[in-house]
Amino acid sequence: MGALLFWGAGAAMVLFTLLTVSSRNPVYSAIWMILSFAATAGLFVLLDAHLIAVVEVLVYAGAIMVLFLFVIMLINLRAEEHEGLRLNPLAILAAATFLALVTRALQDLGPAVGSAPNALQGSPAVVAETLFSRYAVAFETVSVLLLAAILGTVVLSRRSHER
Amino acid sequence: MIGLQHWLGLSAVVFTLGLCGVMMRRNVILVMMSIEIMLNAANLALVAFNKHMLPGPDGAVAPDGEVFVFFTIAVAAAEVAVALVIAMLLFRRLDTVNVDDVANLRW
Repeated sequence: MGALLFWGAGAAMVLFTLLTVSSRNPVYSAIWMILSFAATAGLFVLLDAHLIAVVEVLVYAGAIMVLFLFVIMLINLRAEEHEGLRLNPLAILAAATFLALVTRALQDLGPAVGSAPNALQGSPAVVAETLFSRYAVAFETVSVLLLAAILGTVVLSRRSHER
Repeated sequence: MIGLQHWLGLSAVVFTLGLCGVMMRRNVILVMMSIEIMLNAANLALVAFNKHMLPGPDGAVAPDGEVFVFFTIAVAAAEVAVALVIAMLLFRRLDTVNVDDVANLRW
């Protein structure tokens, strides 16, 4: 049952990602990407990371993709400017090399590591306890980073009348 | 039996698709979306590693991988916000979103 769900959700994720990358219309790309994130959230549930699955849907499929769609609509490309994948031999070579290297590295991964999944407690309480104890400094740093991003966005998007 | 290899393999395939998108798309928004795909694939690998991590001395598995994914998502959100404003400014000033038209700084 778990294996069937893995292959189903994994195939959906790969398919939707492929459609995202190859769609000519950016709006279609964004919609396919939302579906790809939904499949990823399903995979996170299979990994018992329920909180991460919810955050994935809320932040990625919700907030970030709305932001993308918003900007795509604002820019509103003319149809003749739509362009699909530009097949570049060097790029294909680089991607194939990367995939071959990872596949080779995965073959060295012993079955002892791979076949013993533990009962990970992905409950919000356990994750939050780690987040606010061992990673408290990193958490505060991220809040400063988000503040910097907000300030950067405001400063950049302000129309400069003085020039 | 689905092992760690399967999860990492899936993550690698999705990451490669994102890499292809970054290298083969010319629309700056699609390039950013491909970067998000790559970050998402890395998130999947992090959670899979966490799931297969050995338990600590107290018998419980620390959810470190999931916490890392939180940070990745937060950084990705900050990055997207700033990058999309840059794309908007690009379109407003140069009337293009094609990355090949913005190669002035290239040597």
